[in-house]
Amino acid sequence: MGMLSKSFTYKAISEALWQSNPISKQILGICSALAVTVQLRTALVMGIALTLVVAFSNLIISLLRNHIPRNIRIIVEVAVIATLVILADEFLRAFMYDISKQLSVFVGLIITNCIVMGRAETFAMSNSPGRSFADGLANGIGYGAILCGVAFFRELLGSGKLFGYPVIPESFYQAGYHNMGLLLLAPGAFIMIGLFVWLEHALLKDK
Amino acid sequence: MPNRMKSLLFATLLCVVCSLLLTAASTGLKARQQQNMEVDRQKNILKAFGIIDDAQTISAAETQQLYRHNVRSVWVDESGRSVAENLRGPRALPLYIFSKNDTVQAYVVPIDSRGLWGTIHGYLAIENDGSTIRGFTVYQHQETPGLGGEIESRWFRKNFAGKKIVNAGGDFVSVRIAKGSVDDRMPSDIRSNYVDGISGATLTGKFLSEGMQEILEAYEPIAVQFRQKDVGL
Repeated sequence: MGMLSKSFTYKAISEALWQSNPISKQILGICSALAVTVQLRTALVMGIALTLVVAFSNLIISLLRNHIPRNIRIIVEVAVIATLVILADEFLRAFMYDISKQLSVFVGLIITNCIVMGRAETFAMSNSPGRSFADGLANGIGYGAILCGVAFFRELLGSGKLFGYPVIPESFYQAGYHNMGLLLLAPGAFIMIGLFVWLEHALLKDK
Repeated sequence: MPNRMKSLLFATLLCVVCSLLLTAASTGLKARQQQNMEVDRQKNILKAFGIIDDAQTISAAETQQLYRHNVRSVWVDESGRSVAENLRGPRALPLYIFSKNDTVQAYVVPIDSRGLWGTIHGYLAIENDGSTIRGFTVYQHQETPGLGGEIESRWFRKNFAGKKIVNAGGDFVSVRIAKGSVDDRMPSDIRSNYVDGISGATLTGKFLSEGMQEILEAYEPIAVQFRQKDVGL
């Protein structure tokens, strides 16, 4: 039984991270993936924030799963997620004001992220709290990893920086190198995400 | 029927619990949040004046102390005369003064301008000659990160220092954001009235230019007093 639960959890985690990654395989959470991937820093913090929210909303909904009436379950899930996100936002504004200033719009966006709802509905409603929590963490990390990957290329090629620090040497610019402004715009993000989706599908097919 | 009752009961209970949690967090943390906002505002005024450096991180207590020692806030009416805060009319304008050894070094004009997506809040510091910009900060905006959001970046704000709000003849022309680099695009005689623009953020620049012009126009009576070295503040 111990082995089984271990292998089950392992499978759930590896699926969330790779085989059915929320962004590159399920194409979920694209809206926020476009909005926060201009810079690596916002992408990273968004990934962390979302991971915490999915993990805890999964945990709470899984704990309540035998008591939640089926007919209002979606409303209950939204209420739990929204409460968590607003609480996180309030705490950020009270204790980490500078970070919250950079993020406040994006933190609110977590509520509308379909990954959170999706995991609550498909996993937490029918699995134990421990597994649901692990599933939430794994999905959040899977999402955050793609986000950081996209942001890495957008920030590097779009503005020649990483985490806000210039990394393209001045001599490149003098030799005629230009930052690719397209990558800073939404179409650039679509192209980048598309390339990631392609990469993942190609790699999975090879196996 | 009992099912429906159960749903209603559960929903009510959930709402009560969630509301209690949110109310507790909101009221419990409100004082702290407001203090954070006030300190952030003061920090931005200090940065606009150049009293603290951009990259410097200083504690809330230090910020408040520096602010108390160096900056005072005054109200002026539309003709540029100082008025007491409790007697001010509806068109009175707020102003922040930085003095050192009893002489006014510079003053800060609050900038609340239209942006592309929302209001841009910032501070513009002007030297005591009434025409040279000393510094500019943005503390709140809703522009797109990476594009219009670059208005809060250091290079863009540094751009403003040393620019003039008057032309070579001494007449008010405000300061405007160019499309692209000033040195490439502008004739040399008006370069001092333009700052480098942000690529991909033409509209943000346009709105901020217009907003600044409008605000600086309203403050022009005070600027004139500074230019004539006849300040009654």
